[in-house]
Amino acid sequence: MQRSKKMWAALGALATITAVGLAGCSGSSFSGGSAGATQNAGSPLTVLIGSSGDAETKAVTDAVAAWSSSSGTTATVSAASDLNQQLAQGFASGKPADVFYVSTDALAGYAANGSLLAYGDKLSNKDDFYPTLVSSFTYDGTFYCAPKDFSTLGLEINTDMWAQAGLTDADIPKTWDQLSAVAAKLTTADHVGLAFSPEYARLGAFMAQAGGGLVSTNGKTATANSAANVAGLQYVKSLLASGSAKTTKDLGAGWGGEAFGKGLAAMTIEGNWIGGAMKSDYPAIKYTVAQLPAGPAGQGTLQFTNCWGIAADSQNQDAALKLVEQLTSTDQQLSFASAFGVMPSVQSAADQWKSANPTFAPFLESADFAQGVPNAKGASDVITDLNSQLESIATGDPQAILDQTQKNLEAVVGK
Amino acid sequence: MTVTSGSKATSSRRAAIAGREGVAGWLFTLPIIVILGLFLVVPVGMALWVSFSDWSGRGSPFSGDVSFIGFNNYQDLLGGGGLAERDFGISLRNNAWYVLLVVPLQTAVSLFLAVMVNRAILRGRGFFRTAFYFPSVTSSVAITVLWLFLFGATRAVNKLLSYLGVNGPNWFADPSGIVHNFLALFGVTSGPAVLTDNMALGVSYWDWLSGPSVAMTAFILMAIFTTSGTFMLLFIAALQNLSGETQEAAMMDGANGWQRFWRVTLPQLRPVLFTVLTLGLIGTWQVFDQIYTGTQGGPGKTTVTPAYLSYTSAFSNQEWGKGSAIAFMLFVIIVVLTLVQRWVLRERGVSRRRMRAYLPAASATNSSALAVAAVAEKKDEVR
Amino acid sequence: MSAAVAPSIPAVAQKAPRRRRSGPGRKELIARSVVFAILIVIAVVYIFPFLINVATSFKTDAEAAASPLSLVPQTFTTAAYERLFLSSDFPVWFKNSVVVTLFVTAGRVFFDSLAGYALARLRFRGRNLVFLGLIAVMSVPGVVLLIPKFLVINQLGMYDSYSGMIIPLLADAAGVFIMKSFFESIPPSVEEQAKIDGAGVFRTFWSIVLPMARPALITIIILSFQGSWNELTHFIVSTQSPALTTLTKGVASLASGQLSQGSQYPLKLAAAAVMTIPVAIVFFIFQKRILNASDGAVKE
Repeated sequence: MQRSKKMWAALGALATITAVGLAGCSGSSFSGGSAGATQNAGSPLTVLIGSSGDAETKAVTDAVAAWSSSSGTTATVSAASDLNQQLAQGFASGKPADVFYVSTDALAGYAANGSLLAYGDKLSNKDDFYPTLVSSFTYDGTFYCAPKDFSTLGLEINTDMWAQAGLTDADIPKTWDQLSAVAAKLTTADHVGLAFSPEYARLGAFMAQAGGGLVSTNGKTATANSAANVAGLQYVKSLLASGSAKTTKDLGAGWGGEAFGKGLAAMTIEGNWIGGAMKSDYPAIKYTVAQLPAGPAGQGTLQFTNCWGIAADSQNQDAALKLVEQLTSTDQQLSFASAFGVMPSVQSAADQWKSANPTFAPFLESADFAQGVPNAKGASDVITDLNSQLESIATGDPQAILDQTQKNLEAVVGK
Repeated sequence: MTVTSGSKATSSRRAAIAGREGVAGWLFTLPIIVILGLFLVVPVGMALWVSFSDWSGRGSPFSGDVSFIGFNNYQDLLGGGGLAERDFGISLRNNAWYVLLVVPLQTAVSLFLAVMVNRAILRGRGFFRTAFYFPSVTSSVAITVLWLFLFGATRAVNKLLSYLGVNGPNWFADPSGIVHNFLALFGVTSGPAVLTDNMALGVSYWDWLSGPSVAMTAFILMAIFTTSGTFMLLFIAALQNLSGETQEAAMMDGANGWQRFWRVTLPQLRPVLFTVLTLGLIGTWQVFDQIYTGTQGGPGKTTVTPAYLSYTSAFSNQEWGKGSAIAFMLFVIIVVLTLVQRWVLRERGVSRRRMRAYLPAASATNSSALAVAAVAEKKDEVR
Repeated sequence: MSAAVAPSIPAVAQKAPRRRRSGPGRKELIARSVVFAILIVIAVVYIFPFLINVATSFKTDAEAAASPLSLVPQTFTTAAYERLFLSSDFPVWFKNSVVVTLFVTAGRVFFDSLAGYALARLRFRGRNLVFLGLIAVMSVPGVVLLIPKFLVINQLGMYDSYSGMIIPLLADAAGVFIMKSFFESIPPSVEEQAKIDGAGVFRTFWSIVLPMARPALITIIILSFQGSWNELTHFIVSTQSPALTTLTKGVASLASGQLSQGSQYPLKLAAAAVMTIPVAIVFFIFQKRILNASDGAVKE
């Protein structure tokens, strides 16, 4: 009895302190962060990037510094250790970075809560971007932000192992059957023929080659459990079952590049970002790149991209827009490309890029048939859930996995 | 705020309480009250509001365009039928298995170590205590990095196991549940329809019974490794305070060591046991650091815990309301389970003073329990 | 469960004089050796991971992957440490951890002992309320506060600053209780004398009671040091600037591969080893205080 009385007293005290605390704070300070920021032409810009490494950080810092000195607006770059978390904290505090990377799956969330400035139509170089990239950053019919660069998936081949297996350039696989065949030929006691991360961002390419995709081309309907997608995953299963392909997890590697660089696999499926890692971490490995083989429905690959978001709460949106235009200009993108191996998001830079990076040309040439990843709000959670099941694809049932994904996707797509 | 009115009220009274002491009392406790109030109490109130609101993470949660949406966030998590519910169910399943295994194991291991160290010759004691306690000192981040190395890509642990002729699993990459794996040994690979077709929180009963995944098992081993030392110290302190008389008497009575332990020592250790179990329960429901550092919820979502899910919902997916709602449900789970445990292990006939001595320890963190024990020891020196 | 099972001990036995130990018998010796052997085995299990940790940090990446168990690097290299200290933010992280830990430890010792003394000794109205409030506050699990703590720190304008990292950590209810229970164990007569001499409350506390509380203060120092040095979640939600990253946050991002691709284990383990050193030092300095607390009058 006595105790419960005291408990109530304590709870009462807590409630009082809470109420008083809230009352004390809700006066002036809790009303910040209303929509529409005051514009101040002189205010400095902050740029927040989710960097892939020192090379990228340095290149962006140099580019921003150059713009800063020519435009007279101060701008500082910082590399995020966890971009999404820091952006979320910035938006909630009403003091976000002015310019920052936005991934396709984060776009919808930030656009929906009004954190992003929809500046796409104000861009002077708007028509130069690849149309598929523009649609990746279009939310509710509005083009929000400028794609900063993009990547596609290709097939990386270890040329030494290729030669050891008695294969020549003519054997580069063009179809699924050929892929299975060369993977089997390349598999030895020391390494497997093919390694890939067991996630949608790699296996989705097989779904695309079978003619499928998680969502319809207009992004309005969920098509996760289509027969084509099931066929794509079934093929992946058959590859794993044959023993000539393994997932990176089974090889104890963090990603395909690591398995490939350590010589655990003769081929892997990764994007053009693998170039930097091979150069810095595994310089001894000689390799070449090919387009992914065609499936029953023709060629297909996935495409990944980020854009330069500008905060709706930015104090200096005009300057931010000018900075983004500079960062996405043809020349600037080409210098980024040479610094950290990305592909320019503007068509005017394509030829120059290809002649500068002949080995990587297949990546850019794959842009014509590349499929973007779903960007509806909540789609990233669905993909996370799909990935969690794809990890055990070797023993899983593709139909069941995709049915589950379809159910989850229907809840978020077309709303 | 309330403080000033309180001190006014006291200073105006000239009863048995000296005014000077009244003012001093409030002044002395003021810093603590302000800091805890601002950074513990107020946040809880705010989180409660956010969990009932549709705040989407832009600007202040108290601005005019944020509205009250009642129990919607909670409904989505407890019966929405969507991914949110399923994820919450999965996280509860993961953490419940973790608690179920870690709490009894860490208690048993620490008690075993305490009894053994207590029996060891005096010279070796210091060394063994240091060795067993050291893992508790290091940060969870550092230990997780080490664990990723030992159980991860290089499979150091599996190399050790292979010397014993055991073929170790692919620890941090293996999402299969250990109970399921155990059943699979007997050819049971899928549950009866009654278990697979019925769901709770978007997870089928069969999956609730999967056991912790192999990856989570590595974290379970880590928890035992890092906490057993702390709890061992608590047990040792208690063992040293036991009366030798009773032991001697039981010896004379012809009870062997085992019987003595079960019938004499353990009952006397009950208060400490209570503290250790409570601390374990509170600690194990809040797994976050290891997941944030190590697996980020993978493989196959089997290491997602409610704490981590709450964090990612808010900070990565802008689902601030859901994130707060998860945090509150976790809060409720911890409080309810603690109360249940107190009721189950209640000790009759304990003087109130003694009960109070264990009260703070019962809700403190690991290290403070250790401190309570240490201080309890120190008292004797001062006297 | 019922209360302690009372063993049926004859009254005579209870009063029996303690048998004198005439040196350990043979059985006793065997039993002790078995205990010793078991303890040695377990101790090896507990220490071995840390030895691997240190050894691996001096290996090359390739060797770390090839022979993870060896305690002697074949090619001894300090490359990991060089990279850590010369070409990464590690020194900054280290500095931040040190700054925060020193301030938090000092603050906690002072505030906890103040409040502990007030709750133990000073009679003021509302003392029980404060006491119960503290207990209630202690029952709030830390992870519940992740989201709102950020909101509050943010509203107070302390986000992304040392004050936001330090001030919220300054008080901990557990420490108050430790001090309180200690002060309660000091006989009041000591203070009575000071009061009669006309010393103020604070003076009595500061120059008479506090010096007597050394054991408890050391406990608080150890706990605060460990607690703030190993804290992660609070720094995740209170800062974002790279210049304010602490060791825990920095090494966590190193481990989860956001700042480094692949698995450069020597580098990560070197970071883990370095961040363990300060707590280890504090632990070894004060370990007698913690561990030998229970080595009272027990003599074998």
